[in-house]
Amino acid sequence: MSGSNIFSIIGSALNAQDARMGAIASNLANVDSITQPGGVPYRAHEVVFQADPDSDPATGAPDAPGALGESGPTDSGVAIAGTVLSNAPLKTTYDPGSPYADPQGYVTGSNVSQVSQMVDLVDSSNSYAASVAVLQQASRVDQQMLSSFQES
Amino acid sequence: MEIGFLNFYSGVLGASQDRAALIANNIANADTPGFKAKDIDFATAMAAQAANPDHTADTSQYRASGAVGLDGNDVSLDGERVEAARNAETMGAASTFLHQSTADLVMALRPNPSGN
Repeated sequence: MSGSNIFSIIGSALNAQDARMGAIASNLANVDSITQPGGVPYRAHEVVFQADPDSDPATGAPDAPGALGESGPTDSGVAIAGTVLSNAPLKTTYDPGSPYADPQGYVTGSNVSQVSQMVDLVDSSNSYAASVAVLQQASRVDQQMLSSFQES
Repeated sequence: MEIGFLNFYSGVLGASQDRAALIANNIANADTPGFKAKDIDFATAMAAQAANPDHTADTSQYRASGAVGLDGNDVSLDGERVEAARNAETMGAASTFLHQSTADLVMALRPNPSGN
């Protein structure tokens, strides 16, 4: 049987890509959000991934970073390190009639770039599809190995 | 009595199982900044498995051929999927051969192969 930890590795990948797509959806929803002068404008959220530290199955303690474990491949997928807010400059538009305009007539919007969010979404979707393909392949191998030992 | 082919196929299946986990891990980390793809040399891993089936030594190495992106990640999704397919074929073939060898052994042990 292909190791059951394949399924937990792929599960972590699906979780991580799901969180990333959630952040992208939130960013796209707020692409046209505006704020009052002095308010906190919406900044694009970016999910940061990190390789799940090789935890030693015996002790549960993580190995030194970068070191390869001694007792078999113990890598356990991907984890979400956190969410950072983008530092891109905020969009300002000149609209003196808006109730949200500052004294100079500018309205502060979010700093979400629609195009880069869409590119991120496609990238995330590709990774998700690859993970699902590996999952299907692993279960197909399991099925094949079980059925090759069936009584015929 | 030592049955040679059992050890052999246990080595093949053990090594390809480890390799499947490594490839899954590479794909899981396809978007992780600074992650470097890892793989095992199948022959080395199999020799280690066959020599000491209980303790599986980690023979994984960083893959050298990947093009490193701006975020320091060198995983190629397509390449990993090809390797995953290759590995799945290896496992399927090993299990088929193992089944056939076992069936042959059982047949040889029967007092009367044509009857029951």
